[in-house]
Amino acid sequence: MQQRRDEILAKRAKLAELKRQRELRSQTTAGRASIGGPSDLISPTPGRADSRREIEHLLASLTSDSRPGSTTTGGAASPARAAAAPPRPISLTTAPLTTVYECPPSPVKEVFSYSKGVQTTEDWMLPSRPRAQSLLSEADDLPGTTSTPSKRLSRRERDREEELRQKIKEEVEEELRATKEFLTDGVVPQSTFASTNHPSRNLTTEELDAVAQSDEFIDFLDKSTKVIERALDQESYDILTDYALQGQDVDDEDEEGGNTEGRGKHRVKEVAQFFDDRWSKKRMISGIDFSPKFSELVLASYTKNPTAPHEPDGLVQVWNLHMQDRPEYVFTAQSDILTAKFSPYHNNLIIGGSYSGQVLLWDTRAKAAPVQKTPLTGYGHAHPIYSVDIVGTQNANNIISCSTDGVVCGWSMDVFAQPQELLELKNPSQAKVAVEDVSPTCLAFPHTDPTFFLVGSEEGTIFPCHRYDRAGAKAGVDKKISYKGHTAPVMSVDFHPARGPVDLGDLVISSSLDWSVKLWKVRAPAATSTIGTGDGSIAPLIDFVREDVVYDAKWSPTKPSVFALVDGAGWLELWDIAVETEEPVSRITPSSRKDGRTMLSKSLNKVAWEPNEGKRLATGGIDGSLTVFEVASGLGGKEGSKNEEWTNVKKLVNRLEAVGLNGAGMV
Amino acid sequence: MADSSLANGQDPLEEKLGRLSKKPGVKASIVLDRATGAILKTSGDIDALQTTKSRTTSTATSFSNDTTAAPEESESRGVEQFAAMVWNFVNNSGSFVQELDTEDEVRLLRLRTRKQELVIVPDSKYLLVVVHDTPPV
Repeated sequence: MQQRRDEILAKRAKLAELKRQRELRSQTTAGRASIGGPSDLISPTPGRADSRREIEHLLASLTSDSRPGSTTTGGAASPARAAAAPPRPISLTTAPLTTVYECPPSPVKEVFSYSKGVQTTEDWMLPSRPRAQSLLSEADDLPGTTSTPSKRLSRRERDREEELRQKIKEEVEEELRATKEFLTDGVVPQSTFASTNHPSRNLTTEELDAVAQSDEFIDFLDKSTKVIERALDQESYDILTDYALQGQDVDDEDEEGGNTEGRGKHRVKEVAQFFDDRWSKKRMISGIDFSPKFSELVLASYTKNPTAPHEPDGLVQVWNLHMQDRPEYVFTAQSDILTAKFSPYHNNLIIGGSYSGQVLLWDTRAKAAPVQKTPLTGYGHAHPIYSVDIVGTQNANNIISCSTDGVVCGWSMDVFAQPQELLELKNPSQAKVAVEDVSPTCLAFPHTDPTFFLVGSEEGTIFPCHRYDRAGAKAGVDKKISYKGHTAPVMSVDFHPARGPVDLGDLVISSSLDWSVKLWKVRAPAATSTIGTGDGSIAPLIDFVREDVVYDAKWSPTKPSVFALVDGAGWLELWDIAVETEEPVSRITPSSRKDGRTMLSKSLNKVAWEPNEGKRLATGGIDGSLTVFEVASGLGGKEGSKNEEWTNVKKLVNRLEAVGLNGAGMV
Repeated sequence: MADSSLANGQDPLEEKLGRLSKKPGVKASIVLDRATGAILKTSGDIDALQTTKSRTTSTATSFSNDTTAAPEESESRGVEQFAAMVWNFVNNSGSFVQELDTEDEVRLLRLRTRKQELVIVPDSKYLLVVVHDTPPV
C-alpha cells in the first residue's frame, strides 16, 4: 500500500513538473494555476487539446486489450447514468483502478471506490468521444489557457512529454494486467466468484427494509410485475414452436372449447372474465366502458361492498385484456360509483358519477384517489348521478352529468368547484303528475349535436331536452314532444352511431324494466318546433318484447343493424334488425365463476362495445365479474361491411314509419 | 382510506410477488439493486435460482453432513451467484445497447432456454427477474 502511494506521488510530481514548465513557457497569466495545488492534478490545462487527445488515443489503444478485466469491476454498472458523469482527466485514472482490488473489503471503502470505478472505466470505454471537460476545471483554467496555443510547444518539449506519458501508460498497463490476472485467479474458484465480483456487500435487514419501504421500489415493483404478467399472459402461442419437429396436429381455432354460442358469422365467444378477489368481491358492476384509445383496456365501475366497511365504497377498475389476473389500475372513491367513462379526448382521464352526487375525475398517472371531484354541497348535484358523458370536440368539451332529481350540469374539465351550466328538468305536463321533476335515469347525446339530448325517466317517458335556448324552444325539456311507450323506468337510451354512408343518427334504442327494448326515430331538434300533431307523443317504431327486465341496450359501433342487450336473467343478446326483429340472432350467458353465487347473481347490468373495431363487447352485473365476448364477422368488426347494410336499415325504417303511423308500432 | 393498503408497505409487495409466483409455470422471482447487484427480495422456489454447479455442491455438502448450517449457506451462496450472473448479463446487454445507440436503453430481456425462460425487467434503480417454465419443446 505504501509503495503504491509512493508511486502515485512520484507520478504527481512528474506531472507537476511538466506543468510548471509549460506554464512558464506560455507567458500568460500563469498566476492562476497554483503549482502543485489539487486543481493541477484534476485538470491539466484543457487548452492543449491536440496533444491530450493524442495521448488519450494512445492510452486507449494500448489498454484496449486489457479492458475486459476492467469492465467486470463494475464498468457497466450503470450504463444509463454513466454517460452523464463527467469524464475525468487521465491523471486520476490510475489510482482508483488499483484501490478497487487492493483495498481490503471494508464495506464503506468498497462503495466509495466502486463509484469511482464507474467514472474511470467510462473514460477508457469511450476514448474517441469528443472531450467534454468537466465544468469545474474549465471554469478554473479558462483564462490561463485560452491564449496558450499548443503549437507553441517546441518539438523537444513535446517529445519529452510524450516520453513521460509513455512511461505512465506502461505503468497503467502493467497494473491493468496485474488486476486482470488477479481477477482470473479469483474467478476460477467458485467460492470467490461472488465475493470478489458481485455485491460489494450484503445489505443488512434495516437497509433491505428501507429499500422495500421506499416509494421508488414500490413503484418499480408495481410496474415490473405488470410487465411480466403481460409477458406471461401473452404466452398462449409459443413463438418457438417448430412444426416440422413436432408432427402433432395443431388444433383448429374453430374447434376449441370455452363458452361459445351461435354458428358461423353469428358466433359469440367468451374471451375473458375479470374478477379480483380483493376488490370485486360482493360488489355490483354499475358501468362499463372501453378505452377509445387502447382497445385492450376496459373499465368497470362498482358499487360498494356492504361486508367491507373499511374498504372504499366506490371503485373503478381498469382491466387489460392482455393481463387477466389483476386490474391494470384501481381507482377508489368515498361513495358508490354509478357510472364511469374514459374521456375520449384525454387518454389518461376517467370520469365517474357517484351516489353522493359528485362528479369525479381520476388520472391514470396519479394514485387511486380521484384527482378532482365536485363539491358535495352548494353547487352541483345533491342526488345520485347515474349518467355522465363528455361532449364537444377535442378543443372544447364539457362533462355533462345528470342526477335523479332532474338536475343536469355541464362542467369544465378544469373547474370542478362549480358547474358551468345548470339545467333543471321539469315535467312539461304539470297538471297530470304529482311530482313535477322528471327524475331522469339515463341520458344520451346524439353523436353530431352536443346541444340536444334525450333523457329516460323513471315514469317511462323519454324526453327530448335542449341545453340552451333556441328558436322555438327554451332550454330544458322540450314541451312539445315526448317519446311514450315504456311503462316502467327507462334504463338506457342509445343513439345510433352514425358513421356510415347513410345517416341513421336519428335512430335510438331504449331499454326498460317493462321487459322490452324499443326502437325510436327521433325528430331533429330544429324540427320539433314546427310539429303540431296532437299531444306530441311519439310511438316507437319497433317494440322488442323480452322475457325479463332489460337493463341495457347498445348499438354496435360498426354494424348498422346490430345491437346488444343484457337482461335480468343473465343473457347477453345480439340482435340484427335487418335479419330478424322477433328474436335475437345470438344469445349467450357469461360462464359462472366457480365460487360465484347462483340464481340471483346472474343478472347483467351493463353492456359496452369496443368502439373502434366493434368486435368485442363487455358485460357485467350483480356478481361483480366483468366478462368480455368477441363476436364473429356477422355481428361486428369492420371487414365485410357493405353499403347495402346501411340502406337496408334505412329502408326498413321507412317501411316501419309508413306502416306504424297510427301508433301500431308492432311488427 | 384509499391508501390503507399502501400504508403497511410490505404487504402489497409480498402480495405482488406472491401473485407472480402463483401464476402457472412461474418458478421463482428475485429483485436486485441495479447499481450494486445486491439481492433485495426473493420469492418462490429458491432452488430455481441456482446454478447446477452450486446445486450439486449443496447436495454434496448435505450428504457429507459436516454441519447443519452448511447446506443453507451454500444455498444462499448459490442465489448470490445467480444474482451476480444475471446482473452481469443485464449490464453487458445494457452496455451493448448503449454502444449501438447511446440514447437507447434496455427495457425488457426475455431469455428463452430449452428448459426455462428468464424474464428480466431492468429499471434505473432495480431489476426484477422471473424464472418460469416454458411449454416443452
